[in-house]
Amino acid sequence: MSEQVEELIRKEYAAGFSTDIISETLPPGLNEDVIRFISGKKNEPDWLLEWRLKAYHAWLEMTEPEWAHVKYDDIDFQKVSFYSAPKSMDDKPKSLAEVDPELLRTYEKLGIPLHEQAALAGVAMDVVFDSVSVVTTFREKLLEVGVIFCSISEAVHKYPELVKKYIGSVVPQKDNYYAALNCAVFSDGSFVYIPKGVRCPMELSTYFRINEQNTGQFERTLIIADEGSHVSYLEGCTAPMRDENQLHAAVVELIALDNAEIKYSTVQNWYPGNEEGKGGIYNFVTKRGVCHTNAKISWTQVETGSAVTWKYPSCILRGDNSVGEFYSVALTNNYQQADTGTKMIHIGKNTRSTIISKGISAGKSSNAYRGLVRMNPGADGARNYTQCDSLLIGDKCGAHTFPYIESRNPSAVIEHEATTSKVSDDQLFLCQQRGLDAEKAVSMIVNGFCREVFKELPMEFAVEAGKLLEVSLEGSVG
Amino acid sequence: MTDFQQQALTIAAQQQSPAWLAPLRSQAANEWRNVIWPTRKTEHWKYTSLASLQKTLLSLVNTSAANTDWKSEVEFIDVNAIRLVFVNGVFDAANSSNFSENIVRFSQANSAQQKIIEQYLGKVVEGSQHLFATLNSAWLDDGILVHVPRNQTLDQPIYVVQVSTLGEQTLSVNQRLLVVLEDSAQAELIEHFVSTSEQQNSVVNALAEIVVGDNAQLQHYRLNLEEENIQHIGAVHVNLLRNARFRGFTLALGSKLKRIDYQINHRGQGAELNLQGVYLPRNNQMVDYHSNVQHWVPHCTTSEVFRGIIADSAQAIFNGRIYIHKDAQKTLAELSNKNLLTSNKAEINTKPELEIYADDVKCAHGATVSQLNDTALYYLQSRGVSRNEAEVMMSFGFINELLQQIAEPAVHHYLLPRLAKLFGRDQTLLEMADE
Amino acid sequence: MLRITDLFAKVEEKDILKSLSLTIKPGEVHAIMGPNGAGKSTLGNVLSGRAGYEVTGGTVEFNGKDLFELEIEERAREGLFLAFQYPVEIPGVSNMEFLKASVDAKRKHHGQPELSAVEFMKLARETSKRVSLDPTFLKRGVNEGFSGGEKKRNEIMQMMLLEPSLCILDETDSGLDIDALQVVANGVNEMRSPDRSFIVVTHYQRLLDYIVPDYVHVLANGRIVKTGGKELALELEEKGYAWLEEEAV
Repeated sequence: MSEQVEELIRKEYAAGFSTDIISETLPPGLNEDVIRFISGKKNEPDWLLEWRLKAYHAWLEMTEPEWAHVKYDDIDFQKVSFYSAPKSMDDKPKSLAEVDPELLRTYEKLGIPLHEQAALAGVAMDVVFDSVSVVTTFREKLLEVGVIFCSISEAVHKYPELVKKYIGSVVPQKDNYYAALNCAVFSDGSFVYIPKGVRCPMELSTYFRINEQNTGQFERTLIIADEGSHVSYLEGCTAPMRDENQLHAAVVELIALDNAEIKYSTVQNWYPGNEEGKGGIYNFVTKRGVCHTNAKISWTQVETGSAVTWKYPSCILRGDNSVGEFYSVALTNNYQQADTGTKMIHIGKNTRSTIISKGISAGKSSNAYRGLVRMNPGADGARNYTQCDSLLIGDKCGAHTFPYIESRNPSAVIEHEATTSKVSDDQLFLCQQRGLDAEKAVSMIVNGFCREVFKELPMEFAVEAGKLLEVSLEGSVG
Repeated sequence: MTDFQQQALTIAAQQQSPAWLAPLRSQAANEWRNVIWPTRKTEHWKYTSLASLQKTLLSLVNTSAANTDWKSEVEFIDVNAIRLVFVNGVFDAANSSNFSENIVRFSQANSAQQKIIEQYLGKVVEGSQHLFATLNSAWLDDGILVHVPRNQTLDQPIYVVQVSTLGEQTLSVNQRLLVVLEDSAQAELIEHFVSTSEQQNSVVNALAEIVVGDNAQLQHYRLNLEEENIQHIGAVHVNLLRNARFRGFTLALGSKLKRIDYQINHRGQGAELNLQGVYLPRNNQMVDYHSNVQHWVPHCTTSEVFRGIIADSAQAIFNGRIYIHKDAQKTLAELSNKNLLTSNKAEINTKPELEIYADDVKCAHGATVSQLNDTALYYLQSRGVSRNEAEVMMSFGFINELLQQIAEPAVHHYLLPRLAKLFGRDQTLLEMADE
Repeated sequence: MLRITDLFAKVEEKDILKSLSLTIKPGEVHAIMGPNGAGKSTLGNVLSGRAGYEVTGGTVEFNGKDLFELEIEERAREGLFLAFQYPVEIPGVSNMEFLKASVDAKRKHHGQPELSAVEFMKLARETSKRVSLDPTFLKRGVNEGFSGGEKKRNEIMQMMLLEPSLCILDETDSGLDIDALQVVANGVNEMRSPDRSFIVVTHYQRLLDYIVPDYVHVLANGRIVKTGGKELALELEEKGYAWLEEEAV
């Protein structure tokens, strides 16, 4: 059984090719000039440059967080390039017809056709290649109902009031080391605004691709769901196989105003490094949403990529009766390390949160759930339910659970459960006895283990996520 | 070095102790000098502030006869045991029993006993991880050795009482216990910390090191009943060898600072740990329990249950870590922590942790906060009991579930009425039901 | 004793009782039978005031009082007793403590002095014997680790201690073997008196061989669709409920 599995595990990272394209890339290094360059490149207003510089100076005073259960060599920020854009983007293409065909081919190869007629039905997509947004599909159609979906660079010019009001309002500049860095150097990302009472007619999606060598990606996403609106947003990520570690430090801010609902799904498949642990993306991401009265934010993530993941999509349940959800599958193999989870901060009355986390560790990887549930004194009648399950495949990996539970309200109820187990011989035997091979059996068992989370994903992604898991697991049963 | 560290060293230098303990003490004093003083950013002290401790001006215990006023206020557990009483850290021979050959104070150890002490003392505890254990060793003036030879079963429990009373100054009380159970030995140990209603702002640092040999069994109780001003930092460090069994029960009322660590190492295959704890801080008190169970070898079992009721403006902290090392296959480990807050100023911070490096294990933990079963409340009400009383009844029931499992009847009899009173329950009835 | 008029109730947004009316006089035994899901258990829960059972219409008068004005525990103290189908386990709370608290609450309500612990212990022991429950059960947690039959006998023991005026037995026969059923039935029969009434909710006719009812009602689709004497139960046993359900729609 182990042989087959090992073979499987050696299967190549399918998104690992790189695109040969002429890019304008800043030389490595970080200083004020780099920030001025990025800001200048985007023709940004003064307030935003000031905002970036303020963050940069704060960042210089900060230190990298050390509490996460991950180990990696110190990052030399002077060796990272903070800006890279395809040359052809100098004059931003007005339509798909103007987009560099090489870029389009890249996305076709990744299984993401960008031509609107060929695109996934009902999914509008913003495509971010290294530091810039390449194209956003279906924008006109969305604008008909008042939904704004564009790159954040564009939003800064077209919708400055909204950007100014909300950027940094959920994740303050000094929230953490990587968030501060992102504030200083973010290059692009997606911007979404759903007007009052509008139910966004299609799924919105952003596809992130790191291509250039030695380049970091620092994107920033801002989603504002005005009162009574509804949106479902998906993101996907891939990168070529390269021997160096590359840095991805994103910030995502969600604002769900009264009675609004945001569903945010991620399938993260950054290059995880090779089987010896060489290369791969450092994925240090800050994602947080704030819920006003009766609002709901639901995070679903399938994390299979990256060499190191450090990520805690969180909800601040400020308004009464607001709801936060976190559904996560994190799979680590080979030398991957993940420290991921969520924070649910209950401030309003009768706020509710649900956390379902499934961690799968294989190879020599390390996979940790880290979560915080906090009931503030005013959170009367608040409830949380947390279920964290870990599955170990092989005896050289680690699975860890670090839940922080803090309550200051006697009427708030918190329930946390965690279990750890392995794929049992009995389960395997049963499947095999019924004629399944070991790999299939394991992937079936793992898929079953993750079902509660997969069912939260939009349909097309759920299928994709299942397959991804299968590929990522290949060869892990020893 | 902080002022407190400096002060502590001054005291360490003044402590008298047998010469043969000097190397351990000076080594500990050196370590203490280099200890990094914890802050809120230190994970193991995230929720517990040592500010009150730092403000305390320590002074050495006056070894002259302790006053005896405490006797009217402190009731011993009514148990047929070998009793050792300490008042503010000073041994009180008048209230203690004659020692059996299994027990000796370090200062009176013969050469064979010294050998045992030297072999184990400071070895069970991992010093660098526990700064107050380091301090305990630096301050070590005396201690107690309990040694049970191979195949011997003690016919009486050993009962160690530490009384804190009102003195003239703030006292620093250092207690050290070393318990060594050789192969197939059996014993029962009760540690009882108690204070009089008025007591000094004393600092108690009580450390037990316990080795349970192959097939040996220890029943252990640690009752931390001092209240209000006492600052208590306690620890129980245990090594379990092959097929060893440790059955522990601990209970803590709150005080100004109360931090108790259980550090259990499964070092021999087939070892079994069963640990239960209850914490009941009230007023402005706090209690902090940290347990850290390390599975180093395969086939060991851990079962841990902690429950707390946090009232008034009190604060409780629970941290329960289970660590499964790489080769510790076939581990079964379970931890449950349940909490009730009974006031809107009370606070609980709990963190059950699992760190697992072996795949063929079954581990689980659960934590809950504030949850009385609605169906049960309804059932009680449907029999005419008011909502309020039903809640009190069930709150007491919530900890009574653990009290009922106390194996030593004397400890049970001692605790039940005292805790029932805390909850305003009818103790006669409970006792009758209990008989 | 009890007058239910045009009662509507819902559970989780679903209407369960739909215009149920029933009058019970002192000393009477009424059996309520019906198919699963007819609302039999809902009736007991609504009458005793369980949370989640929302009364949306109708009135219930109990011994001259508006039942819905009373809290759960007040109804109990006024003499309403519900013997549960599935009595809950309450670990840590001793049966003895619980029983004394209930008896005291009722006595206090009626201006009687509380019993001393000794008096109560004696009473409790005697009563436990009446339902063939070993007195050691008094020391255990409420229903904790009791078998199905033991739980039911504990219910009857509580009924005896509390001496209610209206006893509602909610499928007390479910899950009982014939011996346990007899013990329970004997207990109930012992309690029958001219000023005490019973509502016996059951799915099967079997229990009614032992506790002989004055009236048998069929509850279907949230209301009483047929009323008869004890012979109706036998008819139901033979013909099932389907013929009545069709009529009820």
